Amino acid sequence: MRKIFISMILPVSIIIIWTILTTFTGLIPSYFLPSPFEVLQSFETLLMNGQLVQDTSLTLMRVVIGLTVSALVGIPLGILMGWSNTVKDFSSLMVGIFRPIPPIAWIPFAILWFGVGLESAIFIIFVGSVFPILINTMDGVKRVDKVLLESAYTLGASNSQVLRKVAVPASLPSIVTGLKVGVGVGLMCTVAAEMIGSNNGLGYLIFTSTSMLDTGSAIVGMLTIGVIGLGADYLFSRIEKDVSW
Amino acid sequence: MITLENITKSFIQEERGHNILKNINLKVNKGEFLCIVGPSGCGKTTLLRMIAGLDFPTNGQIIEDETKILGPSRERGYVFQQYSLFPWRNVLDNVAFGLEVKGLEKEEIYQKARKYLEMVGLSQYENSSPKELSGGMKQRVAIARSLVNDPQVLLMDEPFSALDVQTRHKLQDELVRIWSEEQKTIIFVTHNVDESIFLADRVVVLSHKPGKIIKTFNINLKRIRDRSTPEFLNLKKEITSLLEIEL
Repeated sequence: MRKIFISMILPVSIIIIWTILTTFTGLIPSYFLPSPFEVLQSFETLLMNGQLVQDTSLTLMRVVIGLTVSALVGIPLGILMGWSNTVKDFSSLMVGIFRPIPPIAWIPFAILWFGVGLESAIFIIFVGSVFPILINTMDGVKRVDKVLLESAYTLGASNSQVLRKVAVPASLPSIVTGLKVGVGVGLMCTVAAEMIGSNNGLGYLIFTSTSMLDTGSAIVGMLTIGVIGLGADYLFSRIEKDVSW
Repeated sequence: MITLENITKSFIQEERGHNILKNINLKVNKGEFLCIVGPSGCGKTTLLRMIAGLDFPTNGQIIEDETKILGPSRERGYVFQQYSLFPWRNVLDNVAFGLEVKGLEKEEIYQKARKYLEMVGLSQYENSSPKELSGGMKQRVAIARSLVNDPQVLLMDEPFSALDVQTRHKLQDELVRIWSEEQKTIIFVTHNVDESIFLADRVVVLSHKPGKIIKTFNINLKRIRDRSTPEFLNLKKEITSLLEIEL
């Protein structure tokens, strides 16, 4: 209870100050920063005409697909890189060069290769979220307690059994952390990709509303992204707790 | 029988004077309970790891029944000083691990695993997570997990050193009982002189840097041993003073 109360202080104060500044002082015009009431109105409109639900589900779908692709590539590759120094040495230069490139920098190529639409967005999310997943998985496998591995060997396990039955489950906490970071990055990438290479989704909603000075709708879009991120973080933190050995 | 032939181990191979073990010659008989005592840092754990096949001698060789030891094997069970249970498996599945990787049928696996869990007195904890167990219970499960493979040799690296005295004594009693029931060869490393005299047929005393065998004691006391008899106390005094000279 106390925790909830304390965590509410800041957002509530901000809403109050925001209301005072935009509604009662008249210092800030609504195209500059809409008042909370105007945001609520936009929220109602977007909810009623179905646009909010449609854009949110499109964005969510892109994040989920992009993240799934990242996990399918990043987790196995991370496991192999953590397990075998040869695989790590083989791929480390490539990973080292590609990892620092901001995913947004890929947008022009994504549009060039995949056109405007789903594939483009998935590609951008993939580029953004695959590295945190890969690196966390690799670190997890590398840091598995040596005693567990050696126990398995003395119990008669082969190399591949030690990998499957010990190294992988032991690094599950790091893999989940990787996914958690990946979701955050993925969400940012989706919105960025939608702003430029898409004609729907929350990023598109924010972008088009702002350019039409419908700042209320833009804020609705932004807050929706915030809520999705918060939810995803909560979900993965729960899973992290379940696998924290 | 396990034979250590002129074992030398150094971590920096070229450089002399960095030997941690030097010229170890030792024969361990089938069914024998052997304790290796020595001050910390004398290389006793390294010696045990080499017998397990987890580490390799710089010079010399270790032979088990005419075969040179080249790596870990389910014939040589190992109980670690640190807690080593798989935290994502419950107690029963931890014990079952060795049989599972061997590829036995599920039914047989659990039947055997339960048998050994019973042997260490933890049947009612089969569904517990290792997290829920005390230190002593964890080491019991680790012993059961090694025994389930029916190994020829059980290698134990100070498995009771983290436990309080009462628990340690209880587990020592149980270990002697299990050893006499199962007819295993046990090589047990410890820095605790009392423990070594209580458990072993033979106590090998190692020196400090480089580790060399300085003396071997045959312990001919009747089991279960009484720690308060003059024979026990005299042996303890003698081995302790030998170790003190080393430090």
